[in-house]
Amino acid sequence: MKSQVKRLSVLMALSLVIISASFAADYPTKPITLINPQAPGGTLDVQARAFAPLAEKMLGQPVVVVNKTGATGMVGGLAGAQAAPDGYTLTVGSVNIPNAIEWEIANNRKPPFTRHDFVCIGTFTMSPTFLIVPPDSPYKTLADFVADAKAKPGQLAFSSGGLYGMSHLPAEIFARAAGIKVRHVPYTGGGPSLTAVVGKQVDFSVNYPANTLSLIRGNKVRALAVIGAKRLKSAPNIPTTKELGIDAEYYGWVGILAPVKTPKPIVDKLRDVMKKVVEGKAFVDIIEQAGDEVRFLNGEELAKYMNTESEKIAKLYAEMVKETPK
Amino acid sequence: MDVLSNLLNGFQTALTFKNVYLCFIGCLWGTVVGVLPGIGPLAGITLLIPATFGMDATGAIIMLAGIYYGAMYGGSTTSILMNIPGESASVVTCIDGYQMARKGRGGAALFIAAWGSWIGGTLSIIGLMFLAPSLANFAVKFGPPEMFALLLIAFILLGSLGKGSFFKTVPMILFGLLVGTIGMDPLTGTMRFTHGIKDLYDGIGFIPVAMGAFGIGEILTSTEESLVRFVGKVKMRELLPNRDELRASWAPIFRGTGLGFLIGLLPGSAHVLSSFVSYTLEKRLSKKPEEFGTGRIEGVAGPETANNAASESAMIPFLGLGIPTGPAPAVMMIALLIHGVRPGPLFISEQPQVFWGLIASMYIGNLILIILNLPLVGLFVNLLRVPFRILFPVILLICLVGTYSVNSSVVELGILLFFGVLGYIFRKLDFDIAPFILAMIIGPTLEMSFRQSLMRSAGSFSIFLKSPIACTLIVMSCLLFLWNIFRAVRPKKAWEKALEEGE
Repeated sequence: MKSQVKRLSVLMALSLVIISASFAADYPTKPITLINPQAPGGTLDVQARAFAPLAEKMLGQPVVVVNKTGATGMVGGLAGAQAAPDGYTLTVGSVNIPNAIEWEIANNRKPPFTRHDFVCIGTFTMSPTFLIVPPDSPYKTLADFVADAKAKPGQLAFSSGGLYGMSHLPAEIFARAAGIKVRHVPYTGGGPSLTAVVGKQVDFSVNYPANTLSLIRGNKVRALAVIGAKRLKSAPNIPTTKELGIDAEYYGWVGILAPVKTPKPIVDKLRDVMKKVVEGKAFVDIIEQAGDEVRFLNGEELAKYMNTESEKIAKLYAEMVKETPK
Repeated sequence: MDVLSNLLNGFQTALTFKNVYLCFIGCLWGTVVGVLPGIGPLAGITLLIPATFGMDATGAIIMLAGIYYGAMYGGSTTSILMNIPGESASVVTCIDGYQMARKGRGGAALFIAAWGSWIGGTLSIIGLMFLAPSLANFAVKFGPPEMFALLLIAFILLGSLGKGSFFKTVPMILFGLLVGTIGMDPLTGTMRFTHGIKDLYDGIGFIPVAMGAFGIGEILTSTEESLVRFVGKVKMRELLPNRDELRASWAPIFRGTGLGFLIGLLPGSAHVLSSFVSYTLEKRLSKKPEEFGTGRIEGVAGPETANNAASESAMIPFLGLGIPTGPAPAVMMIALLIHGVRPGPLFISEQPQVFWGLIASMYIGNLILIILNLPLVGLFVNLLRVPFRILFPVILLICLVGTYSVNSSVVELGILLFFGVLGYIFRKLDFDIAPFILAMIIGPTLEMSFRQSLMRSAGSFSIFLKSPIACTLIVMSCLLFLWNIFRAVRPKKAWEKALEEGE
């Protein structure tokens, strides 16, 4: 009886393999869902919704973006990780996913899934942040700012869009690299965090180019540096932290992930389609109009990047948790 | 004169056939989204963003803005007809709006809501047009200490919101605050009362709680009552507000406009705040405050005007500075970015055709909305003639589908049913639900702004006194608090005693 069950299950597994293989040949045959774990209208949403109609043309099937928000992306991430690995349910991934996982681990909670539950398809963008201060701030250069922060440890405060999120980490990484002690005031989202700098409620903040460029041009905030290694095409006269001798780098990437057991042929097809779409003029135009730059990493490159980054972030979180007053 | 010539240019842009058409589509979709509980303006706008890819920037923003302010017109419909708030700004409309519907004055309530929305919306655009740049700079000055001081006043006002006694309202406020603490603490990341349920990490949402406590609670109670309902053919004249109702509405509509316009500038839950502050204000100013909660037209006119005025002035920080203060303006800003128009401090001077085209289209849109909504009043009122045995299952279904559609979460369906039963119990014990829901929405912001202020000042309370705005507001809240106590303990006048005995 037992052996019969075993044989049956082997048979079933085999047939599943065959079915999925035959699926791959003419994949896709039905609409593809892109789960976006972040709120509608955010950076992820824009990029995914720009990608969907272009990918649709190449795949010949509708690509539908569905927002599944909650628990700073964990709810949607979990749904994406546990989806059937058939290439019909993909996840709009971002730096938030591996980070949220590491945050759970740093706080001694078991994360519901890990980054190893996903196979990477590729990235749309990898944006650095600007370090910004109010327009009439006494700091004209990064050196001014760092010197003053060192003179007054723990007195300068910065705003972020949320604890341990995409606009908190760059500031934290920068402060540690520059050797300064600053206070963190979290706000609910990137918009309110920007308001706090413009309205001089805080001394500085970091934010992404798409939200910040117009404020810099309109002289409502002053950018002291790009937290990264390469100057931005859209703001060529703002120096980078690397140039200024501070070893701080952080990039908010956005891309596409699939469940780890997705068959290889389907993954290859998706990677191929994604590369063509992301490097195509139509997509590049939309992203550049929004003030960002396309930066495509293929699946393998993204997986490698995620691994090394996650280790760094894990260490940083461990320190941050230790420093949090209980 | 500069403004006028710019506005004329704006009308030139907005009055092309294509842009009027887009404005109409936006307003129509906005009304639908507002009427349906569950889908809010946010989801409504996001769903249509891909449809704008082929349009020019002006057309796109005209349509998306139409959805946004159109949703505020529709929000009151289900509040009045079914006691389910269509969106969070219409919670207080349930209190008197639904009572009016039960008395057969549903048509008048809907009419006044639409009329007030139109006046509030239109006057608010005038303010937006003249004052956008300067007010945007004021709005960003409103930081955590100021927000905290304002919400302090809001909470003192909450105490006088309920129709029941003070001692029945305060526990409901405290309970609302308690439910509001569920979820991840935004400032330290500590989980509060989540018991490992991931759906609770972001806190308990407004939609399942409001639909449960209002909608399902209402159904459960109503099934027990043998209601004498208003039936029979509705005459056109009875749909319209009578002379007394019209006269009573004028002042609340204008006060609601002013209040809504100012409160709309603030970040966060401005709509909710504007409608309930307007309600409490009307109740205080009324000669018959004890009749609030039994179907006073002022309780519909004020709040429904205020939330429209607020929705339009909420666009000021976004148009004047490129900083969205709420989720819906944030989505509109993204839509503009996709079209290569970058809202920011230079937006109005660099892209005058987009800005003035939008402003002009908002006048047109508000006109479209009132023309669209007034005939709908007759249609909606007829819904009340549907027998209970059909209407109740339909409402139940709307609540379930509406809740599920937001996050596709089964846990939230559980929350909906839980608060449905709780809403029933509260009703039986004669506790008011509105103060509970409002405390739940505003509580987290109160806590957050208090702690943000102290984090900024490294624990020193002087931060609340250093800011002139915050300081003034705190003094006002103290006076208000003392006044409340004074009113509660002072000896009653002869006529008040007589009134109470008479009851």
